[in-house]
Amino acid sequence: MSTGTEENALSGGADSIRDEAPPAEPAATSRWAAVQPWLSLIVRVALAGILGYAGYTKVIVPALSVESVAAYELFGETLNQLIGYTLPLFELALALLLLAGLATRVTGIISALLMAVFIAGIASAWARGLTIDCGCFGTGGVVDADETTYALDIARDLGFMALGLFLAIWPRSRYSLDGALGLYSSSDEER
Amino acid sequence: MSKESRRTNRERLRQERIKQKKRAKRNRLLATIGAAVAVIALVVGGGYLIVQASNGTSAEEYTGTLAPQTLQEDGSVVMALDGVAAPVVEVYADYQCSHCARFEMINGDTLKELAAQGEAIVHYRPVSIFADAGDPAGANSLRAAAAARAAAEHGKFVEYSDILFDNQPSTRQQGYAVDDLIAWGEEVGITDPAFAERVRSESEIVEEFVTNYYPELSTKARAEIPEDQLRTMRLNDLIEWGEDNGVDSSFMDGSHVRSVLDATAAVNAKYSEGANAFGGTPSIYINGTLLGNETYSATDFREAVLAAPPGQVDTRPAAEEDTDATPSEPPSPSPPA
Repeated sequence: MSTGTEENALSGGADSIRDEAPPAEPAATSRWAAVQPWLSLIVRVALAGILGYAGYTKVIVPALSVESVAAYELFGETLNQLIGYTLPLFELALALLLLAGLATRVTGIISALLMAVFIAGIASAWARGLTIDCGCFGTGGVVDADETTYALDIARDLGFMALGLFLAIWPRSRYSLDGALGLYSSSDEER
Repeated sequence: MSKESRRTNRERLRQERIKQKKRAKRNRLLATIGAAVAVIALVVGGGYLIVQASNGTSAEEYTGTLAPQTLQEDGSVVMALDGVAAPVVEVYADYQCSHCARFEMINGDTLKELAAQGEAIVHYRPVSIFADAGDPAGANSLRAAAAARAAAEHGKFVEYSDILFDNQPSTRQQGYAVDDLIAWGEEVGITDPAFAERVRSESEIVEEFVTNYYPELSTKARAEIPEDQLRTMRLNDLIEWGEDNGVDSSFMDGSHVRSVLDATAAVNAKYSEGANAFGGTPSIYINGTLLGNETYSATDFREAVLAAPPGQVDTRPAAEEDTDATPSEPPSPSPPA
């Protein structure tokens, strides 16, 4: 993706023409400027895939999604039901936005916050000595004590959180609705 | 007009243009965020309605008469109209398993209704996959399963089972207390004092199992059996091994606790491999075929049962008196499913 043919693709946005060309920059910066939109595209698609998969595996069996939430023993049955039903849908919606590249920065921030909430939930289950599956991808509930994978789950969610933060910092990406709408064009990416 | 003022004018215009551009940009950003919020609202809100409508959180409550319940030799219970030809729905459940309670909540009433209409032969087969989980989960599971078997002997298995699932404790909390188990028996109309007695004696066996027998068995096994071999052994294999190695299980003889453990071993043997392998509870089999996600969907579950051909129950009724099966109206002509 870092082919030399992108030298002029400082902006994936439609208004790149309207913006005055930025003054010549040091080679390293322009190289990054060329690569970054592609990197952000990859991150977008990856995070969309992760959230989409997580949402899909839960939404097909809502009852088990509710059960996964209940296993955390944090809320009452009514709230468990609500979360169990809507959380997978929320994940799917975020995946959709990421795939389309709409409001990428905000979506990235929300995704990262969501991961922070998940991490807090897993940590609290761990701290309270529960033996549960995190229910991150479909199957949740109580498992044997030697089958818990809290540290791994948290590490993984930290990774996903990093993807969200990446998009929060570098929202400009290739093939995005944002780009088509002239958002995050190069002129306001003065970082 | 002086050159000077023209320049400031131009400068002002330039500033104005920049401001305008900024404003336009901000509006675009706000519009984009608005669109994103709309997408989220649409997916979550719309999806919620669809999921609610298509899956149904639970079936409609069934308050009609139950089909006759027949205790089987192995302690399981068949609920069906007499002589009906219908698909056999095997329900393997553990009273400590939360997914099982969820299944009961969603499809328990559907099963009662289908059985009463002659559309299904429901074979309740309580097991205990939590038996080796110690106190409290293992003890809860065994106490409840043994009490349910005692209720089955008095013809009230289905009613009693409902109460058990309604009162399921958390796996970290002691539940299914002896006094409660006895009181629930009265609640479903078991007046025979033999029931209370049985619940008490079974609970003592559970106590012995959880506090003395199993810890001893597991310590000894871990010391004497190579780990890779130990990992492949199920609870019943361990119990058998214990017999030959000085861990006596005879305190369980003739108890419902033993029969629950036997039932658990039996399902592992019956559905040992392939797509239908028993992998935990709840496991619902229609004519021997394991159900997947339909298990947790009110609509899909009903359809799966209705679409199945008639099947055969693979256990025989218990020899003793036939519970209190009140002769119901003759079975409705079973429609070809």
